[in-house]
Amino acid sequence: MNYLLTTLTKKQEVDSMIRDTIDKVLVLCFGRASDSIFLQLDEILYKSVREVSKFATVALVDIDSDDVQVYIKYFDITLIPSTVFFFNAHHMKMDCGSADHTKWVGTFLRKQDFVDVVEAIYRGAMKGKLIVTCPLPPDRIPKFQLLYKDV
Amino acid sequence: MPIQNPNPNKKKKKHSNQDDDEDDTVQGKQQTQFEFCKVCRLNHNQGRRHIYFPNHKKALSSFLYRFQSKFKNDVAFYLKKPMPLRPEHAALNRLWCVFCDFDILEYDSSFACGNAIAHLASAEHLKGLKSFLWKYGGGMDRMDSFRISESDFTKWEKKCKLLKSEAAGGGSHGSLIGPLNDIHNESKSEYVNSFDKNKLDCLTSDVKCSNSVVPLQDHTIERSQISHSKICTVGPQILHAGTGVGLGARTPNGLPGFFGNQHYTHSVPKEGPAYSCPNDGKVYPYEGIAIGDGHSQGTSSEESRLQSLQNLTQISSSAQENGGGNVHSGAPPPWFSAAEKIQLDNKLNQGLGDLVSSLGEQMKTSKLNPKRVGAAWAERRKIELELEKRGELVRHDFGADWLPNFGRVWQSGSRKDSRKEFLGENKTWRKVDSQIEKPSQLQPYISKRMRTENTAE
Repeated sequence: MNYLLTTLTKKQEVDSMIRDTIDKVLVLCFGRASDSIFLQLDEILYKSVREVSKFATVALVDIDSDDVQVYIKYFDITLIPSTVFFFNAHHMKMDCGSADHTKWVGTFLRKQDFVDVVEAIYRGAMKGKLIVTCPLPPDRIPKFQLLYKDV
Repeated sequence: MPIQNPNPNKKKKKHSNQDDDEDDTVQGKQQTQFEFCKVCRLNHNQGRRHIYFPNHKKALSSFLYRFQSKFKNDVAFYLKKPMPLRPEHAALNRLWCVFCDFDILEYDSSFACGNAIAHLASAEHLKGLKSFLWKYGGGMDRMDSFRISESDFTKWEKKCKLLKSEAAGGGSHGSLIGPLNDIHNESKSEYVNSFDKNKLDCLTSDVKCSNSVVPLQDHTIERSQISHSKICTVGPQILHAGTGVGLGARTPNGLPGFFGNQHYTHSVPKEGPAYSCPNDGKVYPYEGIAIGDGHSQGTSSEESRLQSLQNLTQISSSAQENGGGNVHSGAPPPWFSAAEKIQLDNKLNQGLGDLVSSLGEQMKTSKLNPKRVGAAWAERRKIELELEKRGELVRHDFGADWLPNFGRVWQSGSRKDSRKEFLGENKTWRKVDSQIEKPSQLQPYISKRMRTENTAE
């Protein structure tokens, strides 16, 4: 069962993770271990974590723990799994053609997709851009509906 | 997206091409297919323009520099002095040829870097090299520094053959004494000939021989000898003789030093004075010069040799007293077996090669883009971590309320605002929460207003 990558359960762990990852992309995936899509995402991440290890770090956050609820609210996480990207403690946005640029919702279809996304983030960050465009074609991006305050 | 082809006649011709190629001709812009630049390790669609970009040029120079240092340190070293390759060292001697994209293993070669040298001298490598330089724009004039010419290769092969024959001729010690016993052999002429050519190589190469601690001596001695080229040819023979006599006249103390030296500088007979090894303290170069000057047209006449032998004996006896000072010149002690020396050499060479290449890379990446996201924060954090490591700065836990820089979804304005907004919302939420808790005990009913505020978060 324990295919999961390093799972963080406390805010302090998340904080130290964000603050200690320097000059590398930090990929934080929020989700629940019982969720099948989250597990699929974890599978893909696990396979690619070594390949991106030179420029990215990956960690999972368990949304069921109380400590990280503040982050869930701060990052507006309503659909899981959600992935947020950081670089040098700054949040990186990615325009995937969906409504929400602040995070990636859903899983990746392929390992290569994940690597491409992280690479795009890294390249943008190294150039000083806080928002990057998604390198994947729209058919490979999971679609979701974003609700605004229950509307 | 491909643009509709305005000319229907062209359709057939273009039909087989992919969309990107259409763009190339129709739009007139350089939008060719994506290709991978091995040097920059980057996929680009700039076609032939890419090689002229400054980033590419920088990447190319460091790329070639790395390969060149590996080539010089390892392969060129063994080209000059072929040493027999032990199987246990075979794993260390692999070389990746970047031009031909292939890994050269040494498991079945009898000489160190044998396969690598053979490959680098071959025609396929030349072809690969040419196509690489054409593709990545390296400058065709630099070709010779990445390959081994046929003449060098044949020289190396000859040396190898000699080594083999010597090894076959003698016993275990024979391999060491071999060259010495061959003083009067006809095969000596080969040494003479090869030395002639080799000394020029010595001059032109800046091979990092780990055994020549003071390269300056090399050059000065060789230059003086270039002017007496013929005299020099006597040099190695004399040194041979010298070592031969040395052995004969030597007490066992001298032997290990000689042996070690012989094996270590395996081609002493070939390069003679070039080996200004101060680490063996044997004052070879001076001997070479002194005797060289003494002789005019040096031929391998026995009388002159005997004379020089006698001269040598005296000199080297004084040298023997100085010879104990090896420690200062950095040579391994005599009890250090020859085999271990070779191993040490190999490792040193590789270590040096690695160091050089890593330095090259470090120089390349040490300056990260200062405009990258969060650069200032990263620098500060690095310093903080450094201090923490050293224990000067006690790790102070950032407050439990620290939140990273985040741009929220439904938010306009800067990111700092988002944090403030959030904290503001949080406070009201917490207030509400505490208020809720009390009434919830009394009243399970939560007013709609409270509910909507909660869900809005």
